[in-house]
Amino acid sequence: MSNDHDHDHDHGHGHKPPAPMVEEISDFEALEIAVRELSIERGLFTAEDHRRFTEFAEHIGPTPAARMVAKAWLDPEYKKLCLTDGIKASLAVGVDWLNPTGFGTPSDYTDLRVLEDTPTRHHVVVCTLCSCYPRPILGFQPEWYRTPNYRRRLVRWPRQVLAEFGLMLPPEVEVRVEDSNQKCRFIVMPVRPAGTDGWTEDQLTEIVTRDCLIGVTLPKPGKTTNIKLPVHHAVNPANH
Amino acid sequence: MGHDKEHHAKIATGKGDPQCFIGTAGGPSKFKVGDRVRIKNLPDIFYTRTMVYTRGAIGEIAVVTHESPAPEDEAWGHVDHSEWFYIVRFKQKDLWPEYPDDFPNDTLQTEFSERWLESV
Repeated sequence: MSNDHDHDHDHGHGHKPPAPMVEEISDFEALEIAVRELSIERGLFTAEDHRRFTEFAEHIGPTPAARMVAKAWLDPEYKKLCLTDGIKASLAVGVDWLNPTGFGTPSDYTDLRVLEDTPTRHHVVVCTLCSCYPRPILGFQPEWYRTPNYRRRLVRWPRQVLAEFGLMLPPEVEVRVEDSNQKCRFIVMPVRPAGTDGWTEDQLTEIVTRDCLIGVTLPKPGKTTNIKLPVHHAVNPANH
Repeated sequence: MGHDKEHHAKIATGKGDPQCFIGTAGGPSKFKVGDRVRIKNLPDIFYTRTMVYTRGAIGEIAVVTHESPAPEDEAWGHVDHSEWFYIVRFKQKDLWPEYPDDFPNDTLQTEFSERWLESV
């Protein structure tokens, strides 16, 4: 399982001097440190527990969900299991929602639903309330998934938002938005794309990117990375 | 109320949440897949997970998902009474009057506890 590095890193060997470890701490980061230290002091968990959980959280990524889709494309029986019991189907790709870390408690909620696309139906997932996301099988949300911009607009202007991700669907394709607002968690199972006949599970897994699993793009042979959203710098930036 | 801090961990370990609430809604679900329902416009003092954009809209039950305490109760630690939950499917046009007529097939699904739904 590899982490999903889609942001640029400055490793300090370019023209820029190495970045300081901490430039500025936000109020929320200060609050997290304070709560963590108090919890350790109080004995709610140990520093070792915290280290292990952080390591777990940092290494989970979208690969198990991608493999689930690839397996389902190849095995109709497994596909049926994915569509009826996502939690059980997750076991085949190494994710146990009842014990995701290998220690401690189950994942907060354990009801995974797999949304099957068809040639005439496309699913896309959002959480308008916050950023609910099937973390055990998909890792952490991309930053854009958490933004009010995506959350507010996807439910109301889904085709506009999808077009901004480069996905334009014809009117005869139903766009079905899934607003994930309770305990169910969702991933999208796209239609297996043309040009993948005879591919192995590993090859198929590579083209099922995180963005495909959220539903903002479609898998395509040769496309193995997530969309890089352009950053538009302010024309008249505020200096403060 | 009256549960200790570890109550949730105790009931969910080995089962998961919402599985730990199976059988706690006090009977079968009131609605079934295909039923037409209207989302009630209840007051939401303090906490809810029912979005304003669905209030008053009519949709149909797509999935009967599970039993769980409603978020309005669970947020305050009241976890001893559950309700059935439903994924409801709406035509986009029924949620947003300005939704373009060019895409009449577009839909949206989201989930509600039983208290928010009434038969149409």
